[in-house]
Amino acid sequence: MMDKKSIQLHKLMISRGTFFCYAGPLSETVLTSISSVVKGQLADTGNSIPVINKVFGIFVEQAQNIIRYSGDRSEQGGVGSVAISATDTGFVVEAINGISQTDKLRVSKVLEELKVMDGAQLKQAYKDRLKSGPPKGSFGAGLGFIEVARRSSRFDFSFEDHGGKTLFLYRGWVDLAAA
Amino acid sequence: MIIAATNRTPEITFSGSGCSIKGECYPEDITELSKPVMKQMATDLTQTDLYNLHIELYYFNSSSAKFLFDVFDFLDNQAGQGKDISVTWFYRQDDDSMEEAGEEFQEDVERISFKLELLS
Repeated sequence: MMDKKSIQLHKLMISRGTFFCYAGPLSETVLTSISSVVKGQLADTGNSIPVINKVFGIFVEQAQNIIRYSGDRSEQGGVGSVAISATDTGFVVEAINGISQTDKLRVSKVLEELKVMDGAQLKQAYKDRLKSGPPKGSFGAGLGFIEVARRSSRFDFSFEDHGGKTLFLYRGWVDLAAA
Repeated sequence: MIIAATNRTPEITFSGSGCSIKGECYPEDITELSKPVMKQMATDLTQTDLYNLHIELYYFNSSSAKFLFDVFDFLDNQAGQGKDISVTWFYRQDDDSMEEAGEEFQEDVERISFKLELLS
């Protein structure tokens, strides 16, 4: 007997153009392994270096977000999922992870601000952050969200309550025409 | 001194009067790389007045951007104290992302000679 859910997963991934998906505990060691897979897959698409660098860059920032900040912690990182799909116009990189109420407010404020900025304003925000150093509570340079905003043609985010927890969905698109 | 490349970090070579950084940079913890590099540069610069930094990167993440910024900031300050410092930022043909990244760092230095060069 064929397992319906297996078939559904296959069909869903194929129909969405999802050629890479990782779900579960994400650590830096796992990121090292999946990075080389993703890099190979992107190179195989035959796209230009800037397109590949943008998609890969968004993927790395999103994966490190999950490792460092996911509300669901694992032994060596955080639990979440990250997927890359081909779209009609290019690529979309999607990340989902649990998030606390405090982080939800903070993240949503930062992303709302970035969302309305144009290229020149994002560049300035990036430079300001480089000069001022990381904000309180950041494990990196505090540049990740700005980096995703700059590398993507557009991004969006949303929160969904799920079984008493909140999930954070964060997506960045790379359009071939714009890259 | 040579810091060997890993899957996620570049090869870094120190010659005494310069440093070369080549590869990709998106480590787990950038401080593990930035601390020894900054320390070695500071040591070398007590011995020499001329210093060249060659950078050939194909990809770096946002935490590594902060590391590069700090290196240029340090070298810019050294140049302010009379050191003759030059940086060459190499990028591949068609690699607009790394070319633009180089241009942005170039905009923020004042006293060091910062050149962009296409890899042949």
